[in-house]
Formats: sequence, C-alpha cells, structure tokens
Amino acid sequence: MLAQNLLNGLMSGWIYILVALGLTLVLSIVGIVQLAHGEMYMVGSYIVYYFCVRAGLNFFLALFISILCVGLLGVVLERFFLRPFRGNVEGAIITTIALILILQNGVVAIFGQNYKDIPSPIQGVLTVLGVRLSWERLITILVSMGLVSALLIFINKTKIGQAMVAVSEDRDAAALQGINVNRVSSVAMFMGCALAAAAGALVGAIFDLTPFMGGFALMKGIAVIILGGLGSIAGAIIGGLILGLVDGLVTPLLSVQMAGIIGLVVIILILIFRPQGLLGHE
Amino acid sequence: MSKRNLVKPLSYGALLVVLFLVPAFIAQPYVLHILIMAGLNIILASSLRFIATSGQISLGHGGMVSVGAFTSALLVMRLGLSFWAALPLAGLTTMILAFLVGYPFVRLKGIYFAMVTLFLAEFIRLTAEQWKSLTGGVAGIIAIPRPNPLIIPGLLNADFTSKVDFYYLSLVMVVVTLLILYAIESSRIGMTFFSIQQSEFLAESIGIDSARFRVLAFSIGCFFAGMAGAFYSHYFTAMNPSSFGFLLGINVFIYMVVGGMLRFYGPIIGAFILTVTPELARELKEFEPFVFAGILLLIILFMPEGLISLPHRLRKIIRESFSHA
Amino acid sequence: MLEISGLTKYFGGLAAVNELDFDVRRGEMVGLIGPNGAGKTTVFNLITGFLRPAKGSVVFNGRDVTGQKPHFIAKMGIVRTFQATSIFSNFSVLENIIAACYLQSNLNLGKAILHTPGSRKREEHIVNRALEIIHFVGLDAIKDQPARSLPHGYKRILGIAVSMAPDPQLLLLDEPLSGMSAEEVKRAVTLVRRIWERGTTILLIEHNMRAAMNLCQRIIVLEMGRKIAEGSPEEVRANREVIQAYLGAGKHVT
Repeated sequence: MLAQNLLNGLMSGWIYILVALGLTLVLSIVGIVQLAHGEMYMVGSYIVYYFCVRAGLNFFLALFISILCVGLLGVVLERFFLRPFRGNVEGAIITTIALILILQNGVVAIFGQNYKDIPSPIQGVLTVLGVRLSWERLITILVSMGLVSALLIFINKTKIGQAMVAVSEDRDAAALQGINVNRVSSVAMFMGCALAAAAGALVGAIFDLTPFMGGFALMKGIAVIILGGLGSIAGAIIGGLILGLVDGLVTPLLSVQMAGIIGLVVIILILIFRPQGLLGHE
Repeated sequence: MSKRNLVKPLSYGALLVVLFLVPAFIAQPYVLHILIMAGLNIILASSLRFIATSGQISLGHGGMVSVGAFTSALLVMRLGLSFWAALPLAGLTTMILAFLVGYPFVRLKGIYFAMVTLFLAEFIRLTAEQWKSLTGGVAGIIAIPRPNPLIIPGLLNADFTSKVDFYYLSLVMVVVTLLILYAIESSRIGMTFFSIQQSEFLAESIGIDSARFRVLAFSIGCFFAGMAGAFYSHYFTAMNPSSFGFLLGINVFIYMVVGGMLRFYGPIIGAFILTVTPELARELKEFEPFVFAGILLLIILFMPEGLISLPHRLRKIIRESFSHA
Repeated sequence: MLEISGLTKYFGGLAAVNELDFDVRRGEMVGLIGPNGAGKTTVFNLITGFLRPAKGSVVFNGRDVTGQKPHFIAKMGIVRTFQATSIFSNFSVLENIIAACYLQSNLNLGKAILHTPGSRKREEHIVNRALEIIHFVGLDAIKDQPARSLPHGYKRILGIAVSMAPDPQLLLLDEPLSGMSAEEVKRAVTLVRRIWERGTTILLIEHNMRAAMNLCQRIIVLEMGRKIAEGSPEEVRANREVIQAYLGAGKHVT
C-alpha cells in the first residue's frame, strides 16, 4: 500500500514539476502573468485525446504532436497578445483571462463538457520485489523525468539556454550584452507551454479530461513556485516533489482536501517566513 | 465662493438625491437587485483600485469577501450579535487577516503578488470547505438571518423583508466607502501610495517605508471587501465557500481595469456598466464568453486606460476629423 | 561623517566591491570615479541599504547603519540619486517635490484623512518649501508640467531636486551629468556646487572627468571593486595606476 501511495506521490510530483517549470519559464523569462497556463495543460490533453481517440494514432506520437502544437500556439500568443504587456501586470491579467475564456469555451464547443477519457498507452503492472507498480504511472514519471532532463541540458549546454538564464536574472542587462530578448522570450514560451501540454497529456492518460481541468494545474504550479522559489528551476523540482509526495501520502490517510490544505498551509508558512521560497533569491 | 467650487458638490448632491428617490419610482425587486449588486461591485472595484494605488494588483478579493461573509454570519448566528455590530467586525476581521498575510506578500514583485493573492483566495476556499464545524463545509451556511430591523418611530421602519431596505443599506455603504477611500487617496497618504506605485526605489530613497504603506493599502482595501461580504451573506441568506471564490476576484478586477484604473471614478463606472449590461445581454448566452473575451481584448489593446479615457479619445477623434474637413 | 570599512559584495563568484575603506568628512565634496564596472553604483547601493554587504560596515555620524533598509537610511540623512533618471513620471514637477518632502510631513492617518487644520498647515508649509526648491534649481517655469514630458536634461535636474527635498546631510549623486549637452552640464555643475555651498556634504559618481575634478576637493578611484588611488584631483590625475586603469578601459583622464 505504501508503495502505491509513494508511486502516486512521485507521479503527482513530477506532473507538478512539469507545470511549475513551465510556469517559471514564462514568468521569469517572458515576464508576464500567465493565468492561462492551466489552459495550455488542458489543451495539451485534448489534442492528445483527438489524435489518439478520434484519429487513432499512437499515444506517444499524439503526445509529441501535442507538445509541438501547444508550444507553437504559445509562441504565437506570446508574440501578438502577451509581449505588448510585458511589465504591465493588469494588461497581462486581462489578456490571459480572455485567453482562458476563449480556450475553455472553444474546447467545450468542439468536444463538449462531458468527461473524456484517453486510453492508457500501456496497461499492466510491473512487479518489483513483490510490489505491484502500475505501468502508466511509471511511464508518466519516466517521460516527465526525460523532459525535465532535456530542459536542464538545454539550459546548461546551449547558448540560448544560457541566454534564458541571463534574461531571467536581469532583462535589461541581458539586452545590453547583446542578447535578443524577444527571441529568447519566444523560446521560453514554447518550452513553457510544451511542458504544460505534456503534463496535461500524461495526466489525461490516467484521469478524466474536462475543459476545466486547467485551474487545478495553475494552482498547483503557483503553489510549487512559491514553495520552491520564485524563478528557481531547482526549486520547482524540489517543491514539486515535496508537494507531490504530500498529496500522494496524505490523501489516502486523510482525504484529498486535507492533503490540499496541508500543502497550502506549508506554502502559506513559507510565504510568511521565507517569501522568496526555499531556493529563491532575495 | 466661486461658482466653480460649487458645481461638483452640487452635482454629486443631486445624483445622491436621485439615487435616494429611485425606490419611489421603481418598485420591481429585480431592478433593485441589479442596483444593489452594482453597488456592491462598486465597493469591491473601488477598494481593489485603492490597493492598486500602491502598485500592487490583488486577484484575491473574492477570498476577502468570503472571510467577511462567513465572519458576519457566524457572529450573528453563533454569538448572537446584532448585524449592525457584525458588519464592522467582519470588515475588521478581514482587515486583520490582510494585515497579517500582507507583510510577507508585499515583498514580492507585482507578477508574484497577483498570483499569491489568487492562491490565498483558493486557500481560504479550501480551508472553509474543510472546517465543517465552523463553516458547514462545502454546503455552507443557510438561513442566515436578515439584518436586525432599524426602527426610529415616525422616521424609519426598516425590517429588511423587502429589497428596498437593502437598496438603501447598499447605497449608504457605497457612499461611506467612497468618501473614506477618496479622503485617504487625496491626502498625503494617497500621495505616498502613488509615489510607491510609480517608483518603489525612488520612494525608498527619500524615506518612504514602501512595505508598510503597501500593507496599509492592502489592509484597508480588504476591510471594505469584508464589509461587502457581510452584506452579501445577510442579503442572500445562504452561501458556501465557493460563492465568492476566484471568479468574483477576477470579475472585480475586470470591472476595475475596464472602468479605468487611473481615476478614482473609473472602477465606479466599470462596475456599474458591467453589472447592468450583462443583464441586458442575456440572449447572447451561448456566445457570451467569446464576445466577452473579445471585448476584453479590444479594450486592453485599443483602450487600455479603460472607459474613463473614452471622452478624451472621442474628443481627439472629433478634433482630428474636423481638422481634415 | 561617513566611514566605510572593509565593504565587500559578491555577485556570483566575483567581488564587485572588495574590502573597500574610505570616509567622507562633513562639508566635503568627494568624487568617486573609476572605469565602467568598477563597482561605484554598487557602493552607493551598499551604503544606502539597497544591497546588503557580505562583509564590512557603513558608519554614519558614529552610528552603524550597515544593512539597514533604504528608507531608514534616508531618515538618518543619506539620500541617493539613481543612474537611470528617477522621478515620479505621473506627477507634475511640483508634485514630485511635494511627494519627496515625505519626511517633513507628519503621517498621522487620522489627521491626514480628516484634513485637520494642523495637517493642512503642515502641507502648506511643504508646498512653500517645494516651491523654494524648484526655484533653487531653476524649474519654476515648468513646475506644473507632467514630469514625464520633460526633456532629458530637465528630468535629471528634477531628479536632483527630488533628492534635495528630504534635506539630506549627505547626498550621493550617481552620474548626475550623464546624457547632458555641454550647456546642460555647465548649469548642472553650477547647481551641484550651490547645493554643496549650502552645506550639504556630497559624494559624487561621475564619468565626466573635467566636472568631477572641477567640483571635488578629494577624489577616490575605484577599479574592480578596490580603491586604487585617493587624493586631490591633481594627485589623482598624475597617478600612474589610475592612468593605467583608464587606458586599459580605453578612456582618457583629462
């Protein structure tokens, strides 16, 4: 039993990490309040639903398509609807609210409000040392880890990745050093939305889809970022794991809501005593 | 006294008289209900703008309304207090909560402050859902008593069984709220808020404790949100943790921005127009979200200062079209 | 008046300011110069609390103010200007100065809201003082214009005026002359000298060598966070290390 909960916790954790990393990229590099981040997550899952269930494609192929599509969608949105509002908090909030409305209701119009289901890509169970671990959860964790590793390698080993770090620390200084901030912004937006879409798709394979699943993702993303540190990638990873494990281990003990509360209490405490998060900068 | 000094107060006075006389001419409860809602939204949008004058955008106003609503309901139903005591106490409780979380919150940059307040509203909702003994859990509280009757023999007989009494209460609350907010904003304290909003670094360098003032703005703004919440709970007589969540906070924010944040009366116009018109646009229900989203985008892209900039823009357009003629 | 000892600040692995010692005596006008990246603005940030030092101390009038918040240090009597023009753009010129007189106003919430006669009188007093300052810096003609519409040179002057409003004992000016035409520089230099003659101690960062040498009695030269020279303008001008530092950075010490 413990092993199951641990597995669930790890899976939740890695999903939260994907969402939170995506959100961090958008917040600290693109520089806008992306309230519609949850909708990227949601659209990601519906695109997989479409290609998997309606078009009969392989799940992983659909996942790949979804990541690309949502990433590109993000780039287009950033260029035309978000970039004008960099540094303008109210403007970004209004625009992303409008985006939420359009995306949510667009999905409702196309797919309807009823719960949808994506069939699991890999059924079955892996038995290790007498413990039964479901493949779908393991795959979710592995794919997530893979994506995060790819992101880390990209950030550390490529010029654009390093440029992204520079922009996230000080946009004006980065521009002075000759970095094309707009291009870096687009790349960060692509990756941020792609991560969210991947998270949504992976979750969609296990749980039901609804056009309104985005809000939950956004809240978890915010929670992880607050916990782990504003603008910190390592923080997002650690924060995501902590929250995921809390959710996974507390839920069966008490209730889903209590797990949520405990998570939130931890975060409020962090906010009060260390507002920059565990690993954030001053 | 010059004529100019009298025009403004006189016109406000006239407006006030008109508003007081409304129930004498319009008796439909439906219309009064819309006006009451508009009044509450004006309080919420104006108090949100008050917080924004110090440079921070709160998306969690809904959570504060919730706190005020539950506090008032509980004070009346569990402790037997009169509504008239519970109302300010609800505001006070909300203000204290805002004050406590304010200090860590205001140290965060604008983007993060907005998200953190959103998060706080969620936290309040989830806590309320869990704390069944206090709040009735997800189901909430029902049968909240109406405000205690106000009776002055011969002059006033308000038992709050009809919407008219609530209308007057909301009107009085709106006037009091606006007067207080305006008085503070036009004082040295308001100027200090605006200084912080324009440049926190510059303000600090000349001796302004920006954190303290931001907390002050946040607390006062939330005080009025709490009082509005108290009104809601005794007007609707039933509510649950989801009644005033996330959505209310977002709506109030929209009223403020669409009306215009640069002027005191911006949120008033925004709240009034956006409360009243959706009622008139009921038929478009299906397309409503897309139309609404479209309108939001149009406004933020082409008229970002909000509706208050409309007269100025129209004048510009007219002037330019005449200069071409 | 101001004693800096062992002041150190790291950014990443680099020491932007490294074991810096210097002091400023009351009534002096001291220049702080050095090639780009020498750490001059970082020193200002450390003195005024915008950054916290890793090591070292800042002592003002005998009181240790190291690491205190900027508003506290302003209250103690040190005000700084910023390299990027810092003014309140939505206020008019007059409102800028009135707002900057914050420390002279008595902020009692109740009294302020009720606009009591006492608070109104104090505000009147502040308005008069603001007008005086505006007159002193020569911006009377445009006092009601919105600050953001001012040409660059005037904005810089306004920035200086804003820093005067709290009546500081020590004024830290960060490149006040940057971006100014020759005419504007002349006027600004006169203004800075007049402020100093009024009794304000000044610590000045400036790239315009002629102006700095002209105005200051004593110059401190920084390079890569360390003090490499200190003395009168003539001494510094002839100092070999200083010339090296500037030639190395492609600049000339005129």
